[in-house]
Amino acid sequence: MADALARSLRSPRVLIALGMLLCIGFCAVFAGLIAPHDPGDQNLLSILTPPAWVDGGDRNYLLGTDSLGRDVLSRLIYGARTAMLVALFASFGAMVIGTVLAHIAGYFGGAVDWLIGRAVDVWMSFPPVILSLILMVGLGTGLSKVILAIVLVDWTRFCRVLRSEVLIVTRHDYVAAARLLGFTHRQTIVREVFPATAPLLITLVSLEMAIAVIVEAILSFVGLGVGADQPAWGQMIADARQYVYQSPWNLLLPILAIFITVTAFNLLGDGLRRTLDVRLAETGR
Amino acid sequence: MALALQAKNLTVSARIDGALVPAVRALSFDLEPGRILGLVGESGAGKSMVGRAIAQLLPAGFSITSGALLFEGEDVAGMPPRRRRALLGRAIAFIPQAPMTSLNPVLTVGAQFDEHLARFGAASRRARRDRAVAMLTAAKLPHAAGLLGQYPHQLSGGMCQRVLIALAFSTDPRLVVADEPTTALDVTTHPPILTLIADMQRQHGTAVIFITHDLRLAAQLCDQVTVMYAGRAVESGPARAVLATPAHPYTRCLQLANPSLRAERRALYVMPEQMPSLRQLRDLVGCHFAPRCPLVTDECRRGEPPDIAVATGHRAACIRTAATAGIAAAVRDDVAVRAGEQPLLQVVGLQKIYTVGAGPFGGGRAVAAVKRASFSIAENEFVALVGESGSGKSTIAKLLVGIEQPTAGRIVFAGEDLAATRNRAQRAASVQMVFQDPQSALNPRRRVASIVTQIMEAGSRHADWDQRLARTKDLLAEVGLSADFATRLPGQLSGGQRQRINIARALCALPRLLVADEIVSGLDVSIQAQLLNLLARLRAELDFAMLFISHDLSVVRHLCSRVLVMYDGEIVEQGPVAAVFDNPQHPHTRALISSVPPDEPQAPWAALKA
Repeated sequence: MADALARSLRSPRVLIALGMLLCIGFCAVFAGLIAPHDPGDQNLLSILTPPAWVDGGDRNYLLGTDSLGRDVLSRLIYGARTAMLVALFASFGAMVIGTVLAHIAGYFGGAVDWLIGRAVDVWMSFPPVILSLILMVGLGTGLSKVILAIVLVDWTRFCRVLRSEVLIVTRHDYVAAARLLGFTHRQTIVREVFPATAPLLITLVSLEMAIAVIVEAILSFVGLGVGADQPAWGQMIADARQYVYQSPWNLLLPILAIFITVTAFNLLGDGLRRTLDVRLAETGR
Repeated sequence: MALALQAKNLTVSARIDGALVPAVRALSFDLEPGRILGLVGESGAGKSMVGRAIAQLLPAGFSITSGALLFEGEDVAGMPPRRRRALLGRAIAFIPQAPMTSLNPVLTVGAQFDEHLARFGAASRRARRDRAVAMLTAAKLPHAAGLLGQYPHQLSGGMCQRVLIALAFSTDPRLVVADEPTTALDVTTHPPILTLIADMQRQHGTAVIFITHDLRLAAQLCDQVTVMYAGRAVESGPARAVLATPAHPYTRCLQLANPSLRAERRALYVMPEQMPSLRQLRDLVGCHFAPRCPLVTDECRRGEPPDIAVATGHRAACIRTAATAGIAAAVRDDVAVRAGEQPLLQVVGLQKIYTVGAGPFGGGRAVAAVKRASFSIAENEFVALVGESGSGKSTIAKLLVGIEQPTAGRIVFAGEDLAATRNRAQRAASVQMVFQDPQSALNPRRRVASIVTQIMEAGSRHADWDQRLARTKDLLAEVGLSADFATRLPGQLSGGQRQRINIARALCALPRLLVADEIVSGLDVSIQAQLLNLLARLRAELDFAMLFISHDLSVVRHLCSRVLVMYDGEIVEQGPVAAVFDNPQHPHTRALISSVPPDEPQAPWAALKA
């Protein structure tokens, strides 16, 4: 595992993706230090100014201002904080629930497997965006609510993919051997099965982070996201939509931010999959 | 008459780390039409490369680097693809090793026959169907016409192989390559399948390359044999002459490493180490067999030995052929340890019924894997359980160690009912299992030290690492591996080494009973001999009993004192090894015994007849 991770750090995909994510993460962590303005500060005297390098731009507002005269660059930087928090905690939460259930279902099989499998089926039969919207209506807005909604919707993704991996691993004789040596079920799952499914899990988490960023943007776009007081990329898109003809930049910039973040996560997931997945790593494809 | 197949200094090389390493070196043979040539050797000897070279299916990175392979005078390697396609399947046919996976599972037998015959221009659908029925009938498959509508999964492995043989011979090929055609099948199907290949070969006048690891089998079936070791043909000549009076020490050692079913019990000859891998071959000078050879001299290590004619048509690549006949196994034989009197394990009326095809709400149908089994094992006794696949022998193993729970019956171990034993740690310390497939039985992410002492971290035990390393050292010494194996991963070990680790893990807590499920069946003869001797030595030192599950009667007779014969979920015969094998009562036992070819190349094999 350690070897595989070291190997993955030599993959150009992983390195590029990590570089991009490091930049975004830096913005998120040190938003207060690097943002030139407070993201909530309104300057109603200069609304909808274009970026500084365009005619009519203001050096004071590097990427222009929105309809309420708030600095777009600062909002983007603070938006990164929202996006990264959601990506991190939502995918981690979904991973924990999905992984635990997948291991229980795949390892024990039988009625337990059936029960969990059907629960996943029923859960997945709701369109994910609709389900998260309904949840948000019920839960109310706020950062923690967004995270909770994404966790509740997306654990099935982990559960289904990992369960089949657990099934394959469990069939190996070394799992039976561990039981014969007196390992408890919990020990067997944690020490024998989980290490074999972990590479797939890491890949899934990085892909899930991309999905979480998109879902957060969607929820913020429809106004059921983190709340109006906290800047979020989806919210910026929603605001800019009304003035798209006067100021297309306000729409394009948050979209670009989402695009870069999601691409970075997907690139990371793809790179990790190629290096961590034994089957792919061996064939060199 | 032109030769059916001729190899002229054929060299197949693999590219390893940029260097070319020959996997087959300067192989030469002549195969006349209507004859059978046996290519014999252990895995890694390069024997399968010939068939693959003909089909141009060499593994990635392998290529013919010099020499030629001539089919009826035509170079197979250099011929245009169109010409090769016209020959393959029609003039050159293949009988594969794994019949079950070699037929397309979604097409009926008839469809696959039709497709094959249509490719080679059998005119009408009707003619093709008639030909298919005729060939299947000739392959002694009952209800040939009905068979055409069946799918491969509805047939047994033996039947699939018959279909494939019929398919191979249906185009009247002039050369057939049979790569271990019986290895994946149950032993009782070996003689009829081999008989069929021999019959078909005679009727069609076909030349056959028969690739096998079994010397005794090759002696019975082939006209000529070529014994291969590490890519080189070490000995070749008329089959019976080569195997009756082997000239190369490897051939002789291989024979002595194989236990006999009929002759008096003798110690096995154990060749040290294993065949060099391609990577090791690269740095090896001199005779490649020298590191394992009992006759080795300094001269052997200096240069490769020339091919020397020892008799008419009988050649060996060795400078010490004169001394070969003198090789003998060590006299000391650890196997004959007397079993104790006290019964250790008593199994009474054991039964296991599986429910097949049941949903979460019940349903499905009951299948009895073990119908009713009663037997006992004494302290320090090695008892064999033999039977074919599906006879229920692996189920018994699972019931004994507790992976499965019996439907009925009692398992009494040292006076205690095992089913009532709630204490898993106690059970783990008294009964252990060695698994069949060492690849699957070892966690690829654990290091050897962590694997062999895994029992020390089970349950609430937390032995510290120093203790575990000390135990690892002892265990590795017990199973004949050096201490530096402790830090290796299973992926860095060979099959035989993995199986030793597998045994070491089971022995860590000194169990009194070991259940061993086919633990030598996937291994080469020389490695098998090492492990059999190891087991015998361990018994003398550590004092444990073993239930040895196997399909190989020769091995059973060598290692065990008592045998249980299982057939269709029932133990149909049991008794001392000598009594059962010398005077078998049940027809299935007789069938099993007659499926093993005789030791003497000249002796007739009753099961192999027209």
